[in-house]
Amino acid sequence: MTEVARARPTSSDDGQERMPGQSDMWVLVMIEAITFSSYFVVYTIYYCRSAEAFLRSQSQLDLALGVINTLILLASSWSVARCVERARAGDHRAATRNLALTAGGGLLFAALKLHEWSVEIGRGNFFSTDEFFSFYYFLTGMHLLHVLVGFIALGVVYYQLKSPARRSLEVIETGATFWHMVDFLWVIIFALLYVMR
Amino acid sequence: MTLSAHQRLVAAWFTLSAITLVAWSIGASHGRGPIEPDAAVAFSAIAITLIKVRVIIREFMDVRHAPARLRWITDGWLASFGLAMLLAYFA
Amino acid sequence: MTVAALAQETAPQPPASSLGKLAWQWRHNPKLELWLSWYTILVFYNVFGIVFFGITRTQPPPKAWWDLPKIVWWFHDKGWGLLVGFGIIFVMGAFATASTALITYSIRRMSVSPAFAWSYLILYSLAAVPGMLLTCIALVTGAMRPDRDPRLMGLLYDMGFLSFSGTMGIFLIGSVVWGVAILLDENAILPKWFGYFNICNALTEVVVATCCVLKSGPFAWDGVIAFYINMVVFGIYTGLFITYLRKMIEREDMDSPQVRGIR
Repeated sequence: MTEVARARPTSSDDGQERMPGQSDMWVLVMIEAITFSSYFVVYTIYYCRSAEAFLRSQSQLDLALGVINTLILLASSWSVARCVERARAGDHRAATRNLALTAGGGLLFAALKLHEWSVEIGRGNFFSTDEFFSFYYFLTGMHLLHVLVGFIALGVVYYQLKSPARRSLEVIETGATFWHMVDFLWVIIFALLYVMR
Repeated sequence: MTLSAHQRLVAAWFTLSAITLVAWSIGASHGRGPIEPDAAVAFSAIAITLIKVRVIIREFMDVRHAPARLRWITDGWLASFGLAMLLAYFA
Repeated sequence: MTVAALAQETAPQPPASSLGKLAWQWRHNPKLELWLSWYTILVFYNVFGIVFFGITRTQPPPKAWWDLPKIVWWFHDKGWGLLVGFGIIFVMGAFATASTALITYSIRRMSVSPAFAWSYLILYSLAAVPGMLLTCIALVTGAMRPDRDPRLMGLLYDMGFLSFSGTMGIFLIGSVVWGVAILLDENAILPKWFGYFNICNALTEVVVATCCVLKSGPFAWDGVIAFYINMVVFGIYTGLFITYLRKMIEREDMDSPQVRGIR
């Protein structure tokens, strides 16, 4: 099974339609999006059943930390998109710099997440404390797992960018697609756990 | 005014960050006493989120230039998810 | 001219009757072992479904938060179903190995290191013990003499259901091994999106770890998230891998050097 080689335009604004990355990765993105959507709907249903209890627990979360984490991931999404744009333009050094920014953002996000968990545990809020915190640790934990897998995707992108013999734009876009998924999943988690009431 | 690819990405990032700060101000209780369920806040949070996710998909993930099928599938998922969330909260 | 081709050329034509055709397949089809494995998988999963969902009623699982009297009642109520159903599994459960064998074969056909195939084989050879047999043994033991001390019945109940749900770890690692092999494979044995689906399946199965901690709510072994949503993904995954293994067998050229190389 060979894939027809597609000419990659250097500008992304030339009106041509093309699939961003491998379509196979989009299968993964949609499956994860739908699976997480089911978790989010279940969360909302459980929230509505015991709103007061959920809100009391939610007030123990640090909204500012949630916002900072969201801004960090949005910035990392921007930098990986810039990495793809630079790779398309043939500027692989700039692409690698942006990739490093992305990885740095991911690490910062993970570190802050662990810090946030340690703060909550310090306050006596564990996974088994109440339903809100079960959802909190579950959703943020599953998401962090996806961030870790995202680092593998970024590693594959770095491997591509490193040597002129590789630099497959399709693989770079595919890795970036996974990272963007990690970002938009967090955007929804932030809204549900920190904002919605 | 047509933006270059780079400028478009920056504009998207700026918009997303600004919307996040708006969500922050909506979500913060501003010391108004015990926190209560608020349908307006919930609706805004869900609506804002749908907008943010769509911007990420269209701009960052470049689905803007993707084949029609992918555009339909991503929009379709977003719409059904939004609907499911609103039903779950309000019904 | 290869031996197989020669054999095919000199083989008599398949007779018209369906029984005759089956006999011809048995003697002349070069893919016989592959098809036997595949049909065994089909039979096994159908028996599995009927036994676990229909006869023993252990899927969907009963509540994790029940107290001892309720648990003892459950063993009495499901008694014969448990004994008969799991008796069938004790006899036929080994058919599950056909699935392991065929998937291992698919990995051996890939361009990746044989280490992937051996890891998968070892993992899944062990997987059925906690993943299925331990449940059967614990629950059959309970059903055989349900007038034991209620605390013992409670122990058997917990062991049965925790081992079924909580030992997903082996299966999820297996999914990762198969998924990564598919993604790295250059022989296109299985489609890349299915490799990614393996990763999705693995990520979703992580959720079962929560059953060890919570006894009620969506994260218990009978919970909406830990069981139902997880099972939907797993069910779709199972249907897909059975379908794509079939397509793989249909495409196989048993005379090609790649296939002969791994015999």
